[in-house]
Amino acid sequence: MSYVTINKLSKCFGEVTVFEDIEFTIEEGEFVTLLGPSGCGKSTLLRTLAGLDKANKGEIWVDGVDITHTQAQHREIGMVFQSYALFPNMTVEDNIAFGLKMKGISKKDAKEDLQKMLALVELGGKEKCHPHELSGGQRQRVALARALIVKPRILLLDEPLSALDAKIRKNLRQQILDIQKELNLTTIFVTHDQEEAMLMSDRIFLMNQGEIVQQGNPEDIYTKPVNEFVASFMGNYNLISAETAKHWFNINSNNKVAIRPESIYIKDAGRQYADHISSPKLAKIISHQLLGNVIRYNLKVENEELTVDLLNRSSERLMPKGSSIELLFNLNEIQPVGV
Amino acid sequence: MGNNKLFIHKSVVYSVITLLFTPILTTFIYSLSSSWGATILPDGFSLKWYSALLTDPRFIDAFGRSLFICISALLLATVLVLPMIFVVFYYYPKLDKIMNLLILLPFAVPPVVSSVGLLQLYAESKFQLIGTPWILIATYFTIALPFMYRAIANSFTTINLKDLIDAAHLLGASTTKAFLLVILPNLKKGLLASLFLSFSFLLGEFVFANILVGTRYETLQIYLYNMRQTSGHFTSALVMTYFAFIFFCTWLASRLTRGNTQ
Repeated sequence: MSYVTINKLSKCFGEVTVFEDIEFTIEEGEFVTLLGPSGCGKSTLLRTLAGLDKANKGEIWVDGVDITHTQAQHREIGMVFQSYALFPNMTVEDNIAFGLKMKGISKKDAKEDLQKMLALVELGGKEKCHPHELSGGQRQRVALARALIVKPRILLLDEPLSALDAKIRKNLRQQILDIQKELNLTTIFVTHDQEEAMLMSDRIFLMNQGEIVQQGNPEDIYTKPVNEFVASFMGNYNLISAETAKHWFNINSNNKVAIRPESIYIKDAGRQYADHISSPKLAKIISHQLLGNVIRYNLKVENEELTVDLLNRSSERLMPKGSSIELLFNLNEIQPVGV
Repeated sequence: MGNNKLFIHKSVVYSVITLLFTPILTTFIYSLSSSWGATILPDGFSLKWYSALLTDPRFIDAFGRSLFICISALLLATVLVLPMIFVVFYYYPKLDKIMNLLILLPFAVPPVVSSVGLLQLYAESKFQLIGTPWILIATYFTIALPFMYRAIANSFTTINLKDLIDAAHLLGASTTKAFLLVILPNLKKGLLASLFLSFSFLLGEFVFANILVGTRYETLQIYLYNMRQTSGHFTSALVMTYFAFIFFCTWLASRLTRGNTQ
């Protein structure tokens, strides 16, 4: 049996259903992500797992025990909030030791644990500070330490990086991953950022409107979207109509066909391409965006508009608006999607 | 030009301060002068009015009664209002709007009207309430309510109540423990500020005290009123003592609240 099993879990607020019949399992030590646009029910699902919201139906099993009706304070589940939720009246040390204090362990006995935790989140020397004296990243590390010190069975992370700026987010992301691997901690992470989800997760549960629409490892979710929603959420997929697909690639499909922006090539004269990169089409550049290491071109091909990502090698190779070019498609990576 | 503007600002500020301080200052000088009749300057200075006041057992008693009533009313308010606001904010946040209307009621009705209303209501009750300090404590509680509710509610909005309680729950705390250990310490500032504000307001309250209780339970303000026929120097000394006490309380309040933020 899996470490965590969710069985037909449903939650509604009055008339409004937040999620219905959610089912999944998580193995011990796994890092899974609930990914989805805001309002898809991912945060409420996380809160229901934590026991902060009551489920209307269904069961939650952890390590062979049904905890559906266990109160939050007895679930032994740790959680890190987007807002940090540090206790502003307490020092870093007291914040981290709070969980132990609730267990009746005095600060003196907890000293070793406390030092270990402070070292783990690299906050040594800050134990006497108050939360308002710390930066956002430091605060979130205190919150992490506070959740970890009681040795939770599951760690829940509710968009813990969303309030931080890019550089700190990157560092903390790695730090969370390192700690998670080191402690072999079963972790459920909630985010609306697909890039973050792909970078961090062993498995992703992609949610939309209270349902899990696709689950799997990041590679599969990215390269094999099951429907239009996944395709448009996971990357900047080009979705072309079934008729165009038939006409261009001789692909028979009832639904739209997805092409990733990086599986389209702009043909360089004199370069040899593999056999599966073919189906040349003439296109016109409508506009381009510089994304740093990638340039994204918006193109017009017959009646379809396409996005193509190219590596940004040098500014001389930047093609101006209105240029006519020839496209090639990686035929192995073109696939129909469900609705 | 910058200096010129600064000069205008400064002169406005200092004129207002002078204007506000003149009556207090003259009262203070008057209370210190032995007699001050038809001359521009007082005949001499002495502390005799203060010593007369501070040795008057009637003053000491009135002061004690006022303290008793104010502190009891504020204790009652704290014990009732704190958990009430917590319940409002944590369980029924929508009630906050209604509460904001309700707490204004004691202010919407002029004290004279509500005190006459209270007289009528309780004149024929089985328990003798009119003329006792108990009715005054209850009335003062309603007056303190708006100050306390607003100040504490503000403190509640500055903390992330829901997440803090959730975090405490997940770390194994019960709701009561979470309130006592996590929420209450963060309200201390707002609570203290509102207590001192209400305290100085209630200590100077006269209308309710006069109509509901009057001379049967002489508070500080009633005592001042009853002394109005005696020497002006004496009442000036009384007013100055009262001021000094309020000043002391305000200073204490700012000291305590500053001590918390550090």
